[in-house]
Amino acid sequence: MIRIEDLSVAFGEKEVVKHVSLELADGEILGVVGESGSGKSVTALTLMGLEAETARMTTGRILFDDVILRQGGSPRDKALYRSYQGERMSMVFQEPMTSLNPTQRAGRQVGEILRLHTKLSPGEIREKVLETFEAVGLKEVRKVYDSYPHQLSGGMRQRVMIAMAVILHPRLIVADEPTTALDVTIQAQIIQLLREINRRQKNAMLFITHDLNLARRFCHRVAVMKDGCVVEAGTAEEIFMHPKEEYTRMLIEAVPSRVKRRPAFGKAAEAVPGDLQERPSGNAQKNASERPSGNASEDVSKNPFGNLQENRAKNPPDRGIPIVQVRNLSVYYQDGVGRLFAPGGKFSRSRGQCAVANADFEIYPGESLGLVGESGCGKTSLSKAILGMNCCREGEIVHGSSMPQMIFQDPYSSLNPSKTIGWLLQEPLRCAGILDASKALSRADREAAAYDMLHRVGMGDEYFHRRPSQLSGGQRQRVSIGQALITKPGFLVADEPVSALDVTIQAQIMELMQRLQEEMHLAYLFISHDINVVYRMCDRIMVMKDGRIIEIGETEEIFSHPKEEYTKLLLGSS
Amino acid sequence: MRKKNGSKWNKYLYAGAVMTGIALLLGVVGFFWTPCSTTAMSAGEKFSPPSLGHIFGTDNFGRDIFSRVMKGLGTTIAVSSLVVLFSGAVGILLGALTGYFGGIGDEIVMRITDAVNGFPSILLTLVIISLLGSGRQNVIISLGIVFAPSFVRIVRSEFIRLRDADYIRRARLMGAGSFRILFVHILPNIFSVFWISVMIGFNNAILAESGMSYLGIGVQPPDASLGNMLSDAQGYLQSAPWCALAPGLTIVWVVLGFSLFGEGIRRKAAEE
Repeated sequence: MIRIEDLSVAFGEKEVVKHVSLELADGEILGVVGESGSGKSVTALTLMGLEAETARMTTGRILFDDVILRQGGSPRDKALYRSYQGERMSMVFQEPMTSLNPTQRAGRQVGEILRLHTKLSPGEIREKVLETFEAVGLKEVRKVYDSYPHQLSGGMRQRVMIAMAVILHPRLIVADEPTTALDVTIQAQIIQLLREINRRQKNAMLFITHDLNLARRFCHRVAVMKDGCVVEAGTAEEIFMHPKEEYTRMLIEAVPSRVKRRPAFGKAAEAVPGDLQERPSGNAQKNASERPSGNASEDVSKNPFGNLQENRAKNPPDRGIPIVQVRNLSVYYQDGVGRLFAPGGKFSRSRGQCAVANADFEIYPGESLGLVGESGCGKTSLSKAILGMNCCREGEIVHGSSMPQMIFQDPYSSLNPSKTIGWLLQEPLRCAGILDASKALSRADREAAAYDMLHRVGMGDEYFHRRPSQLSGGQRQRVSIGQALITKPGFLVADEPVSALDVTIQAQIMELMQRLQEEMHLAYLFISHDINVVYRMCDRIMVMKDGRIIEIGETEEIFSHPKEEYTKLLLGSS
Repeated sequence: MRKKNGSKWNKYLYAGAVMTGIALLLGVVGFFWTPCSTTAMSAGEKFSPPSLGHIFGTDNFGRDIFSRVMKGLGTTIAVSSLVVLFSGAVGILLGALTGYFGGIGDEIVMRITDAVNGFPSILLTLVIISLLGSGRQNVIISLGIVFAPSFVRIVRSEFIRLRDADYIRRARLMGAGSFRILFVHILPNIFSVFWISVMIGFNNAILAESGMSYLGIGVQPPDASLGNMLSDAQGYLQSAPWCALAPGLTIVWVVLGFSLFGEGIRRKAAEE
């Protein structure tokens, strides 16, 4: 139905999409996966005729039912496109915050498309919008109809977006990372919804994602893109079970999965042979064993945690003196930021705004404690309280470490853009010197320490004089880690440190964090919404919901026998 | 794409830098030395049109206009620089403190700036001048007071934007003191925005100073300034147009040069 033939798109001189050919039949879901910068979004936007002004389609053509929508070299036929956009093809964007107009009520925005494309009366439009809202699983549709986007939660906004995309029953839906900005449980619901729509309306979907697990579960066929080229295309089974290309294999390998457990500390050498015996080597088999029928929720129950005993053994009950002890900690919001429709309406009560209630746990040296939960559950408030960054709290926090540090999610905003890497790495030492004259180091010592840390995080000397703007996301995150560790804090809060990174980079950063943990005997409080990342990184897991810690325990224990219903939901949905 | 844009901002920056450079050179030299005396009158050379001896001609007292433009430009640039220096320093200090800490101090300072902004700026300068008396230093003081609020606001909004940036939070975790965070961690990051407002402020100061001298409340005759030269030449616009054209075009040249320069910087910053 849709054919993209030999498509190339260039920005100025630089080609970002090179000779891409894709085909899409009615009712089919084609996943386009690849790392950022691989040209997957540009391909989709060009298909939709929504590419940036500066982009030029240089070669190839795009056909919709044998009608040539556009051809390389010639400008886009705007009138032709307008007759297709919305009615026969529509798009769901990644960011539900910015893809709805904040000044218009949700219902009106969705109705707009009917006003433009149909001759329905205002009453009929309203009926149809409400009907579609119901179809996309929104509750209290009348209320949603009259709500402004900021009054809706992320998941609801994305449902409104989807309603907007499907209301005219288009034959093609392009979804550009539609779930990336959402919580895991919401993510699962949205995927379920898209799948249902696909089944019901039989429309073709072009599903762009960087999440390979998602593509595997959701798509019929998958195309892997790299540097603007399609390196491999085939059915999802083929691609994930028998990847032909080296790059595809690398991508699949890099995805943290529940079969690849983190290597045991110190015992890594002994653990490996055991692992190999248990699961014959080769990634294809691993994946085969992991995914028997494409239903992820089965993974947890079916996974034979054969090495449970060994893992227990490596973490003897006596773990020494905790580096952080949290006793009965409650954290309150400093001001009443009333959220109207917070998911589940948890903060909508007007009484004391409690972000964290009665948290009670400890972190031991050398261990990683994972903290999982949905956004708004109090993860960030808890971590800030531990770091002493907010003041409205009750309870007790005992630190065995001086100056705990933090790694943030966004590598682009966590380094001061006006400084050089060398300066940034030295700054913690300088500050420590100012605070405590006995810790002051000479300039040469500081520089030596900075160079040493640069090497430890796997970067060369040449980066010392560069600025953050000259670094990639992964490199920036390395510098962030180095900056956090240079004062040897012993304890580190990592707030989603890898979730803004591509899978291959993600794997490298996790590896780095594990290596440094071993070398420096660090304790991590590892916050993430990605269950698989947590599984790979953490010794123990703590599950938070609505400000309460509902479950805490060994990783294997939590994964194999979750006690709480919510934990099961959280683990199953990823 | 980058290449195309690159050559574009270069054009702005280049043209602005050249124009500003020439004006600054003439002004700075003129402040200390001019080819002819700026005050020596010569009855024989009254209203001589531009020639090799007097490239901009002479005025109603036979004074060399080129020398007077140089001198006037020097005075104008010196006054404007001091105005921008004063209001910029006030802006950085107050803007940094109010933006970063907020609270009651912020409220007070903001209400004062609102009050100052509430009056038309020229009216306010006239009021201050009439209180202090005319003269160069009073022009600087009054314009400095009038221009400071806009700098305070710009710096403040930048500090508010950056005070919750991840890298500033991390600096706090490292134990950096408030002073260090304000002036070592945040300040360098606002310069791109700050320089543009300095450029705009400088332009406005040149225009305001010229306007005040034109009205006779700025630099007093016989000292040369672009504004009072314009007002002197007003009566001879028909018979000796060069008397008005020289200072007028000089003002245009300087303001245009600075505007282009500021635009060039803005584009460069936007690209980064």
